Amino acid sequence: MPILKVDKINKKYEHFQLSDVSFKLEKGYIMGFIGENGAGKTTTLKAILNMIHIESGSVEVFGRDLKKDEQKIKENIGYMFGGIDFYPRKKLKLITSVIKRFYSNWDEAVYKHYMDKFRLDEEKRLHDLSHGMKVKYNLTLALSHNAKLMILDEPTTGLDPAARDGLMEIFQEIIEDGERSILFSTHIVSDLEKCADYITYINNGRIIDSSTREDFTDAYRLVRGSKKQLDVVKKELVSFKEDSFGFTGLAKMKSLSSLDSLQVERAGLEDIMIYYAKRGEK
Amino acid sequence: MKELLYKEFKLAIHPVFYVILLTTTLLLIPNWIFTVAMSYLLWVIVPNFFFAIAANNDTFFSVLMPVKKSDVVKSKIYTVIALELLNIIIAIPFAIANFMLYRGGLGMLEPNPAFFGFVLIMYALFNFLFIPGFYRTGYKMALPMTIAITGALLFALFIQLLPFISQQFNILFNLRTPESLMWQIGMLIVGIAVFIFLNSLTIKLSVERFEKLDL
Repeated sequence: MPILKVDKINKKYEHFQLSDVSFKLEKGYIMGFIGENGAGKTTTLKAILNMIHIESGSVEVFGRDLKKDEQKIKENIGYMFGGIDFYPRKKLKLITSVIKRFYSNWDEAVYKHYMDKFRLDEEKRLHDLSHGMKVKYNLTLALSHNAKLMILDEPTTGLDPAARDGLMEIFQEIIEDGERSILFSTHIVSDLEKCADYITYINNGRIIDSSTREDFTDAYRLVRGSKKQLDVVKKELVSFKEDSFGFTGLAKMKSLSSLDSLQVERAGLEDIMIYYAKRGEK
Repeated sequence: MKELLYKEFKLAIHPVFYVILLTTTLLLIPNWIFTVAMSYLLWVIVPNFFFAIAANNDTFFSVLMPVKKSDVVKSKIYTVIALELLNIIIAIPFAIANFMLYRGGLGMLEPNPAFFGFVLIMYALFNFLFIPGFYRTGYKMALPMTIAITGALLFALFIQLLPFISQQFNILFNLRTPESLMWQIGMLIVGIAVFIFLNSLTIKLSVERFEKLDL
């Protein structure tokens, strides 16, 4: 049973829509949720947490329907939304004393353990913490009420490379026991290369692919060729860039047989994102 | 619900605001416009409470916690009601002192039971005009706050003017006779009834509007 199952979510806004967004996350894994700015990552995460009204589709967490068992489900979810702080001018001590009352399974010993481990000072105000420390504080809160699913919106944005790397290690530790899963959105591809088991890619409100990291990149190839060749294969490509020598484009692996005469190489996550974004511009 | 109420009082209401409740000492002034003494709460504490909620992403985080969405709204309204009742409770000793210190019949509405009935209606009216308006968006408060403060003020003005306009009103609600006292207690009961009725409408409307919002 997946820990999270998102099934055909649709939500229309004036200038944007989520269309049939579906994916699932199994217990004990980390999923990177990637997409350009404005692709619909935060909107999807909000839909998972029932903060927006979806027009159709469903969300199941721990095998329960979100709409029916929202309260029970939220007992076991940890979250963090980058850049949105809860009472930033108050001391952590006070914020914790308020938050812990909401969770029947709050474990003070776990809380103390992680506050020490992450070197978080309860006397500090949320406002005075760096972004990385804020993420750690949110993780501490989530772990203290024994959250099984962590939903983190852009936890690494604005962190320096060392802090990002440290955070990725913490993510790995959190899921080590096989009981927890992390879904985190990002547009920083190197984060995913370090720790994501699964990747879900959203582009312009649609899920392009959701699979293991290896399968995800295996499904695409970068192809190069002359301008003449481009006219023939144009339709088979996700998108392409032209230069004075010819073109470089992204192709799906399954359409490769018709592209044999071209120079082919493996595509990285970043290439895939860039070429899909380019397709959207056309 | 008690966790949410704890949150409102611990995080959203700064302790210094309780000092404002002492503006009820203004009830010790002889023959004054006492509805004003009861209005500072609406002008200072309630607006600041909602500013704090909007500025600190309170609603956003509250709905992420394991609580019913409707309770997120209800706890805010219960908090306002609790502050209003607290303001009245604090005002009562000063109202009694006023009675003991001065002789009545000087013209202005006295801080008698009817006065508190009217104050309850004023509070309920304020809540009704402000809170459901606020929950149209969950963050815009200038317009509903202006409407609510103006509405409560006009009501207060009307109440203050009544003893001068109507002799009958003065006899029924503003004398220190046993018969007048009975009418005043009647008015207090009407005030309590209106307070309960209008606030339950405020809760219903606010919850309905909040449920429709995308956060």
